[in-house]
Amino acid sequence: MGVLEMKDICKSFDSLKVLKGIDLEVKKGEVVAIIGPSGGGKSTLLRCATTLEHIDSGSIVIAGETLVKTSSSGLTQYTDKKTLQDIRGKFGLVFQNFNLFPHFSVRRNITESLVHVHKKSRDEADAICDALLEKFDLTSKADAYPCNLSGGQQQRVSIARALAVNPEILFFDEPTSALDPELTSGVLKVIRELAKEKMTMVIVTHEMSFARDVADKIVFMDGGVIVEQGADVISNPHNERTREFLSKF
Amino acid sequence: MAELQSTLFQLAGGLRFTVGIFFLTLLFSIPLGLIVARGRMSKNKILAGVVRIYISVMRGTPLMLQLLLVYFGPYYVFGVKLADLDVGPFKYRFVATIIGFSLNYAAYFAEIFRGGIQSMPVGQYEAAQILGFSRMQTFFRIILPQVIKRVLPSVTNEVITLVKDTSLAQVLAVTEMFTMAKNLASTQVSVMPFIAAGAFYYIMNGVIEIVMTRAEKSMSYYS
Repeated sequence: MGVLEMKDICKSFDSLKVLKGIDLEVKKGEVVAIIGPSGGGKSTLLRCATTLEHIDSGSIVIAGETLVKTSSSGLTQYTDKKTLQDIRGKFGLVFQNFNLFPHFSVRRNITESLVHVHKKSRDEADAICDALLEKFDLTSKADAYPCNLSGGQQQRVSIARALAVNPEILFFDEPTSALDPELTSGVLKVIRELAKEKMTMVIVTHEMSFARDVADKIVFMDGGVIVEQGADVISNPHNERTREFLSKF
Repeated sequence: MAELQSTLFQLAGGLRFTVGIFFLTLLFSIPLGLIVARGRMSKNKILAGVVRIYISVMRGTPLMLQLLLVYFGPYYVFGVKLADLDVGPFKYRFVATIIGFSLNYAAYFAEIFRGGIQSMPVGQYEAAQILGFSRMQTFFRIILPQVIKRVLPSVTNEVITLVKDTSLAQVLAVTEMFTMAKNLASTQVSVMPFIAAGAFYYIMNGVIEIVMTRAEKSMSYYS
């Protein structure tokens, strides 16, 4: 049983079909990279998996809990509020533009949800925070505010924030697209370390060599469908469309 | 000299009402403005429409006229004796002033707050949602503190205007500072009371500028 199971996902924005029946399974400890041209549906797929968008039909199961399913009669139904809240505690999402809370220090960015959503004591939350900051080489920045950090540091803080609740799966939506090449490497290094620790991850990325190195499975998406997937999609693409896309890198 | 002293003394007496109108209006109109702003942004089209008309009327008609309507409305429309509307030690003319000012300023504050709330990037809501914050927590912990920083300069503008607008209470014969100054000027046949009153208003706004600048500075630790 996978940590993430998405079946026959369809999603339209008005008349535009963005996802046309996507099946995706992510097993525990697996790193899946989603690649493909812009507008191919990668980010939308991620946003559907993380409850930021509602799907039109299909089913999503995260960490054994059903987020949404379509019954045989064609009715698509999301789970109740309480289960939804439960599920949200089981995954983390790292955004392209970080979305840190600018009015909170680094420490509060990481601990705020631990204290006020997960009802941990301040001390417990601080301990979790300190461990993460040390791991990501950010200990000296605990009391800094996001605006005083480099883009790479901000993204590492946002990864720490996502990891604080000890999620079963971590999603990344183009985590390095807002960073220059020098800062990118620091963030990719952190993700590589997480992969070594067998963190289950789904990463939408344009960094092909990184995807090839770190991912157990690569998914190539275009036109709202999965064109091709497997361990060696980048090094040995079978589909003509995949080859054409990869030839541009 | 004795005359100046007595002028200042009487103006200071009126200042009580001026300051009273000022603080009570802020006390009621800021929370009300927040509620009105939420109503204006409601997905319920009827509610949003009603609130929109409210804001439009409040901003589109003179505050002096609104004060007169609030004061005389109960008598002309419902035949209520105005003396029956006194609240404890407060005459209805004072209560009506506070109601009129609060309703009017809430409309202005609402539009300022709406602008601030709508300028927040959607990513802040999404990050909060993913982390599991409830809608109330998201608003009060994540959104509102940032909105306050963004709207503070515009709020300062309104607050300064309010100090000067308190003089409109004279139409309901509230003996605030401006009314006093006018009376003194006509009995003394002198502009001194006006100049003294002007100095009082200016000093009040000077204090407000200092306070608001400090408030802005206290939030300048992030951008």
